Amino acid sequence: MQLSTQDMDGGVTRVELDGRMDIAGAAAVDMKMNLIAGSAKKLLIDLQKVTFLGSMGLRSIVIPARAVLSKGGKVVIFAPTEMVASVLKASNIDSLLPIHHDLAAAMAALQ
Amino acid sequence: MNATACLAETMPAENTVKPVPRLTLKSQLDDMAALWPWVESLAAEYAIPADTVFAVHLCLEEAVSNVIRHGYGGQPGNTITIDFSLSGGHELLFTVEDQAPAFDPLTAPLVEDEPATSPLDYLRPGGRGILLMRNFAGSLKYERLENGNGGGNRLTIGFVLPG
Repeated sequence: MQLSTQDMDGGVTRVELDGRMDIAGAAAVDMKMNLIAGSAKKLLIDLQKVTFLGSMGLRSIVIPARAVLSKGGKVVIFAPTEMVASVLKASNIDSLLPIHHDLAAAMAALQ
Repeated sequence: MNATACLAETMPAENTVKPVPRLTLKSQLDDMAALWPWVESLAAEYAIPADTVFAVHLCLEEAVSNVIRHGYGGQPGNTITIDFSLSGGHELLFTVEDQAPAFDPLTAPLVEDEPATSPLDYLRPGGRGILLMRNFAGSLKYERLENGNGGGNRLTIGFVLPG
């Protein structure tokens, strides 16, 4: 499981996750995700290279997202695969973490 | 002909590694790393489509981590077995067994059952695993085992192959 970050226009922090968000993958990124959430106000979570998302991986997204939202920030999910999106929807978290497949739309939603 | 030559002749020329129908895991979360390669080997052998492999892994990860965390209370030194079978040529059956005190994941409370008092409550960190299993498994069946060794739990998770 790999994680990289990129500062985008408009104060947006893009976090790109790459790999399987299973128990091991979640453990590998948890601390970094929480550190990023500590400073980011506009967070774009890029899931296009995530090939699997289980409940522990979901937790690694939900906890930092909740931290950003609770301080008045914004979070969007970008480009999950169909199966990863179905996990997000089945968990009902897409109501607070909107899913976008177009980067411009995702960036606009964070402004 | 000596024994070695005889054995060599009867073995298939390639792909001699067959997936084992049973996986035994220790009751510790890091042992779950063995789940993925096992599911992948079954997927290759039975030509399981990628979306079904995703669902299988999702459900097995949840079922096994539930046993480790709730059934065995996080105590190491216990085991969990997962047996695979193909039923009727089109349904994958995974049977997860443990020797833990009674724990029925199908009647455990869902995060959705708790009232949300603020929008952020929809982002509570836990409790989604069972919800996901119910969404992604084709069938789920729980049985309490009374086998004279203190009993155990059996969860059978089925997936119907498409087409």
